[in-house]
Amino acid sequence: MSPLPSRAGDGGGRGGGRDRDAAARRDPLAAPRTGPAVWGRDLAMGIRFAAGGGREGWIRTALTAAGVALGVAVLLLGASVPSLMDAWHGREKARENLGQVHQPRAADTTLRYASVDTTFRGTPIRGRLVRPDGAHPPVPPGVRHLPGAGRMLVSPALKELLDSPEGALLRDRLPYRIAGTIGDAGLLGPRELTYVAQSATLAAPDGYRIDHFGKNWDPTPMQTPAVLLVIMTCVALLTPVMVFIGTSVRFGYERRERRLAALRLVGADVGTTRRVASGEALFGSLLGLLGGAALFVGGRLSAPLITLWGINVFPSDVTPGPLAATLVGLLVPTAAVLVTLFAQRGITVEPLGVVRNRPPVRRRLWWRVALPALGALLLVPLTWGEKWTDTPLNTARFAAGSLLLLIGVTALLPWLVDAVVSRLHGGPVPWQLAVRRLQLNSGSATRAVSGITVAVAGAIAIHMLMTGMQAGYAAAYAESGKIPRIGLWGNARSWSGTEQALGALHATPGVTAARGTVDALIGPLPAAGRPQDDLRPWTLAVGSCAELRTLARLPSCRDGDVFRTTNAPGTDVPVAPGRTVDLNTAIGPDDQVTPQPWTVPGTTRPVQLRDPGREPGRFSYDLLATPSSLDLGRLNSPTAELQVDFDRATPDAVEHIRNTAARIDPMMNEYSAVDNPHDGPYTSVRNGLFIGAVITLLLIGAGLIISTVEQLHERRRLLSTLDAYGTRRATLGWSVLWQTALPVVLGLALALACGLSLGSLLLAMIDSAVTVDWPVVTAMTGIGGAVILFVTALSLPPLWRMMRPEGLRTE
Amino acid sequence: MTPEGSLLVAEGLHKAYGPTPALDGADFSIHPGEVVAVMGPSGSGKSTLLHCLAGIIAPDSGTVRYGPHTLTGLSDARRSALRRTDFGFVFQFGQLVPELTALENVALPLRLNGTKRKEAERQAREWLERLEVDTVAQQRPGELSGGQGQRIAVARALATRPRVVFADEPTGALDSLNGERVLTLLTDAARDTHAAVVLVTHEARVAAYSDREIVVRDGKVKDMMAGLI
Repeated sequence: MSPLPSRAGDGGGRGGGRDRDAAARRDPLAAPRTGPAVWGRDLAMGIRFAAGGGREGWIRTALTAAGVALGVAVLLLGASVPSLMDAWHGREKARENLGQVHQPRAADTTLRYASVDTTFRGTPIRGRLVRPDGAHPPVPPGVRHLPGAGRMLVSPALKELLDSPEGALLRDRLPYRIAGTIGDAGLLGPRELTYVAQSATLAAPDGYRIDHFGKNWDPTPMQTPAVLLVIMTCVALLTPVMVFIGTSVRFGYERRERRLAALRLVGADVGTTRRVASGEALFGSLLGLLGGAALFVGGRLSAPLITLWGINVFPSDVTPGPLAATLVGLLVPTAAVLVTLFAQRGITVEPLGVVRNRPPVRRRLWWRVALPALGALLLVPLTWGEKWTDTPLNTARFAAGSLLLLIGVTALLPWLVDAVVSRLHGGPVPWQLAVRRLQLNSGSATRAVSGITVAVAGAIAIHMLMTGMQAGYAAAYAESGKIPRIGLWGNARSWSGTEQALGALHATPGVTAARGTVDALIGPLPAAGRPQDDLRPWTLAVGSCAELRTLARLPSCRDGDVFRTTNAPGTDVPVAPGRTVDLNTAIGPDDQVTPQPWTVPGTTRPVQLRDPGREPGRFSYDLLATPSSLDLGRLNSPTAELQVDFDRATPDAVEHIRNTAARIDPMMNEYSAVDNPHDGPYTSVRNGLFIGAVITLLLIGAGLIISTVEQLHERRRLLSTLDAYGTRRATLGWSVLWQTALPVVLGLALALACGLSLGSLLLAMIDSAVTVDWPVVTAMTGIGGAVILFVTALSLPPLWRMMRPEGLRTE
Repeated sequence: MTPEGSLLVAEGLHKAYGPTPALDGADFSIHPGEVVAVMGPSGSGKSTLLHCLAGIIAPDSGTVRYGPHTLTGLSDARRSALRRTDFGFVFQFGQLVPELTALENVALPLRLNGTKRKEAERQAREWLERLEVDTVAQQRPGELSGGQGQRIAVARALATRPRVVFADEPTGALDSLNGERVLTLLTDAARDTHAAVVLVTHEARVAAYSDREIVVRDGKVKDMMAGLI
């Protein structure tokens, strides 16, 4: 039975006295009462102790709350990711309708709509042109009225850019007056660069006619490496957070145990003391829960400043789902209680002190190895055979495998520390003191260090994955971008228009060469009873003799000549001279077109393409024609295909070319390898991860300081005695350093091994060469070393304070 | 007893903790090989006197001379060095390093003085035998009884062959049988090595092991044999 005061007996009513009598008569040898009421009362008592423990108690509670708050903030952030992505995708779906499947007829409520996306100094800009067909066109979200002809609505970020000196070159590309800004509902995020402009000339075949905005669209599934990265990041971030929460609720446990011994002295049973202890931890974790929620709400205000993988969101998007938030709210305090109860296993709080009745734990290796081994068993088969595919089973296997591997590291560390320190003998006094201390009890040090181990292992693995992916893209772009060249393509109306475009490009600053043709598909004439797709269409390039000579070896050429190629890849049936073909051949299955017969001239000569092939930079034309040989107006969707070479030494040559292209045709598309779009996001994610890992390490360092200082505090009498013996401060300072350094160094070694193995597995899964990000490995281990020095340096002042003779006073 | 030929002499020691005076003009002296019991009620200033004599704390005023040295004029580093080489200590609680074995605890002050580990442990083992606790040499303090722990502490205090041993309630946590055995071993060993012992206690039976008794009351020292000195 617990001796704690009972509220029932304190009532001032007439029954109060009788209740007290009944309580007093209760058989003292009766079985102790249990049940929710007793639990509630004891937990409440613990909370009262934690709240009423004076300054020292509040410091302990604050430390626990700070650790838990951090964990809660990260958990809430993680819980917000699904809703964040939903909100982001939802706005994209609501504002888009490129390529409406069934185009409506022109009406008062329709408009023509086209994409005019561009890139400015590596940053993508989303552009849309509209031309209403009537007075009541649909408007996209975030827009009250469409802008008038020659005007545009811009996102606030784009307005800021255009108003700045850096945006001067971009203003030439967007020749519209700013009529207003687009509201948040029409933006993916606050940093998005986007505009909607009204063109007075937008007409078929450019763009699409639509009668509404918003479309049924499922977001493209994330690419395999990105999925791996997200899973890995969640695991690597959340595991140290769980470790940190576990460490935080143990702060000040020794003093708590002494207080509990005092409770035992007045008759509290063991169960009661455990529940009271849980109540104390519960109080800290409840405060941490509130603090974490506040930290999360405050932290999400910085969401607009962060762009990861092109995703930039509003603070309101970062909202955890109700189920996830409830789970966090329930699980964190429950975890605090469970960790406290778990920490108390093997100890009995007796009335005169704490008895550690558990024999020194012989840490067993088998189950500690089993965890990472099981993780490796789940992961290694994923590297066999085909490249990893994103299926629910694979995702679960990967998440479980990496989680087991990382948690296995935390389980292996105590064994490793024990195994190493038990073999260490001799050495100078500081070393001996540290080693002996760890031999006796390495638990609290390894608990905190295991957080470092997971964070470093995770960071190394993720960085290896990122570096591998980034290096892959960089190599591909470096290969494609070896020649400084931009490809442009757009709807072609005439050869003369294409020639004018080439002339304008030639005159652009930094352009060294510009060439191009008008390309189209031609096909066999449709015949009754014959399926339309029984013959592959032929590809046709129309250009001047000079342009055609860049594609093939021509014996001689005059305007009006036609050539058929003999080495184009994949041509089943060559297009023969004298054969009548359809210039207006259907391109899509629903393409309703009127046949435009054209007979291949008998004078058509065979020629050989210079670089046959389907790869970028090679050609696969079946037929080459000079402009006078056929009427371009009869072709189905002829396309101007232009290639522009430029001089890298000319500043902003690419931006000047883009400006010229926009003047020629705002809907001109670009393909080039001049901007590696993956480089920026990868670098920003890597930097973000690195900063995250550093913050995690510093936090764990803070936890280590707390546990070290707490340990010193517990031993202040011993420290004073050692001081009385004339022990040098440096001797004990070094012993603190070694005591911190040994587990951290072993933890980092383990983290290195685990991180490199996991990173290699991840790279093998995406068929990438295994490359180690040595600068990061060095930096992470360097920071680990810095944490040791940091912890030691901050532990020295309290150590020296506690070495004062005041500790010897007993009165 | 006059200070003539004294090993350690204190004169006019004043020490206050905040507004509370702990020592109020206390004098003290001890000769080599002499065992002096410092008695007095709780809070009388006994431990403060011991701490001042050992150079653990500095008095607010007054002097402490140890041979040719004036302790009160030495730097903290010099006083620490003196404590390592010339003084030994036994306290009531919490003096053994819990992580170290009994042998390592006894060897610790020798090692702090720069003695090599093997030699320090050889000497420590001799002291353990002398104090009759060599059977627990490899055990840690948590595995020892109170009496064994105090004997280890005495062995540790004597291991460096100090000229003065300061013992602050060394038997306060022991039963009478164990306490007497510890005191016998301490005083015998000290006399053998010609070490002076300053024995702080409030128990009359402990004082019986001394050559001379002094009483501290209200921060002043009274020699039981010579009256107020």
